[in-house]
Amino acid sequence: MTRRLTDIICVFRIHLARLRREAGPFVLAAVVFPLVMYMFATAVGATGDAGSVHDPSQRVRFLAGSIVFSLSLTAVSWLGYLLLENRFTGRLKLFATLPLAPSSYILGIVVFALAQAAIGTVVLVAIARAFGVRTALSLPVGGLLLGAVLVLTVLCVCGIGVIIAARARSFSEGSLLTDALGAGLVFLAPIYCAPEALPRPLQILSKALPTTYAARGVQTTLLGGTGVATELLALTVMAAATLAVGFRVMRWRED
Amino acid sequence: MRGLVKQYADGTRANRGIDLDVRSGEVVAVLGPNGAGKTTFLRQLTTELRPSGGTIRVFGIDVVAEPQRAKRLMGITPQEAGMFESLTVREHLQLFARLKGLARRAADAATTEVIALLALSEHERRSVGSLSGGLRRRILIGLALLGDPPLLVLDEPTTGLDPASRRTVWSVLRQIVQQGTTVVLSTHYMEEAERLSDRIAIIDSGRVIAFGSVRELLARLRESYRLSYHDPAAGNGDLRVQRYASFADAQAQIQRLRLSEYSIARASLEDVYFEIAGQPFREDEAAEVLR
Repeated sequence: MTRRLTDIICVFRIHLARLRREAGPFVLAAVVFPLVMYMFATAVGATGDAGSVHDPSQRVRFLAGSIVFSLSLTAVSWLGYLLLENRFTGRLKLFATLPLAPSSYILGIVVFALAQAAIGTVVLVAIARAFGVRTALSLPVGGLLLGAVLVLTVLCVCGIGVIIAARARSFSEGSLLTDALGAGLVFLAPIYCAPEALPRPLQILSKALPTTYAARGVQTTLLGGTGVATELLALTVMAAATLAVGFRVMRWRED
Repeated sequence: MRGLVKQYADGTRANRGIDLDVRSGEVVAVLGPNGAGKTTFLRQLTTELRPSGGTIRVFGIDVVAEPQRAKRLMGITPQEAGMFESLTVREHLQLFARLKGLARRAADAATTEVIALLALSEHERRSVGSLSGGLRRRILIGLALLGDPPLLVLDEPTTGLDPASRRTVWSVLRQIVQQGTTVVLSTHYMEEAERLSDRIAIIDSGRVIAFGSVRELLARLRESYRLSYHDPAAGNGDLRVQRYASFADAQAQIQRLRLSEYSIARASLEDVYFEIAGQPFREDEAAEVLR
């Protein structure tokens, strides 16, 4: 157990070193894009209904949407890109020379994604407060539930990133897929709007997307609610499924 | 290794039944031209590629059934592997030493030892991304050496290295071997195979076509002198290579052709390969006119 923990921490530290050199793209993915989307959503809200943008719950919805957008961009697009790079530049071969379990590699990546998510979320909440968004997170229960929603969301989207990275036939195919999914998971789900505002086919599709439950869970907890059992259950099932597939497809040995 | 076979899904057969016994503490060079099956063979040995048939045991451990356990006994340098460019040389080695199962202090000590051994001291604080290809190759070898594994498997360890770096690596490998480490390395440099190895396995078309010490392999030659010259009669500057049983026979040919520029050398492993495989070892030699 200690050995496995050491392996996970080492894989995490190896990838963390990259943040030192590539802090710019990370900030862009984790903070700038979601922040711009927050402002965009706020502006669209103001033109649609002059009163709605001043509705605290609406602004919290936009904040929740931006947090989920940040998670999706960092954990699917950016992390997926990193995993693809590991595979297609031969770095994975280096891990394969070690007595390291593929699952420890994935878990190290997951820890790295969780660290990214924590940084992105904290920065976004701090900026939102500066913009005058008032949350009503009930501590400690609400905080713990928010943490659980975020962790499960990261596990889920991370699993998707691992599957794409392990299965892609080329770097370009993989990065196209991760980019499309990173953005698609956000724009196909009702994260900046109410579910009923989506067209009917999207409403049906969004029920299968983790971002739908993530946005609803984050929004509920930020507004002081604790009724996120459905969201937690859905995210747990999806995280278990994507990670199970991720563990299965990630192998050192070729057939 | 017994009856090692690799057949891909499209029917391509990379290995066609390799048998090889490596004694503990010896250096075995796997020699062969590009595409002979050296890398496939080493990838199977290092658990990276599942064999279609046959068995591999490393110090009694079945490599196919227990890859993780087998890898604990191996230091592996793949032919092509990427590195984590954001890490410094020291960080890279330290973290990989930890991943090999070394405790923190032991990992620090192993890192310091490898840095000194491979003459990387002046670069240890630099990021790997800023280093030349030759230095990166040395670090890759260093990663394999961490933790003093009893078996080193090196796939073309000195390819791409300048002569000085190559000599550094050779010297390091000699030191490691003196400590009792077993080494299996692939190379297409004849000189490397001759200088480093106790025995040489020559692979061609996925089979071991000869296995023995340099002396044993050379003893298989009927013609152990090689004469190279530009044929004055041909007029097109083609290099001719001919092999003779004795020095006197080679000299007789020189006199017969009235050659003014020529070289006579003792036969080498390339000639052994030619004798056994019936084709030149190097592609560029195919252009030479062979007897």
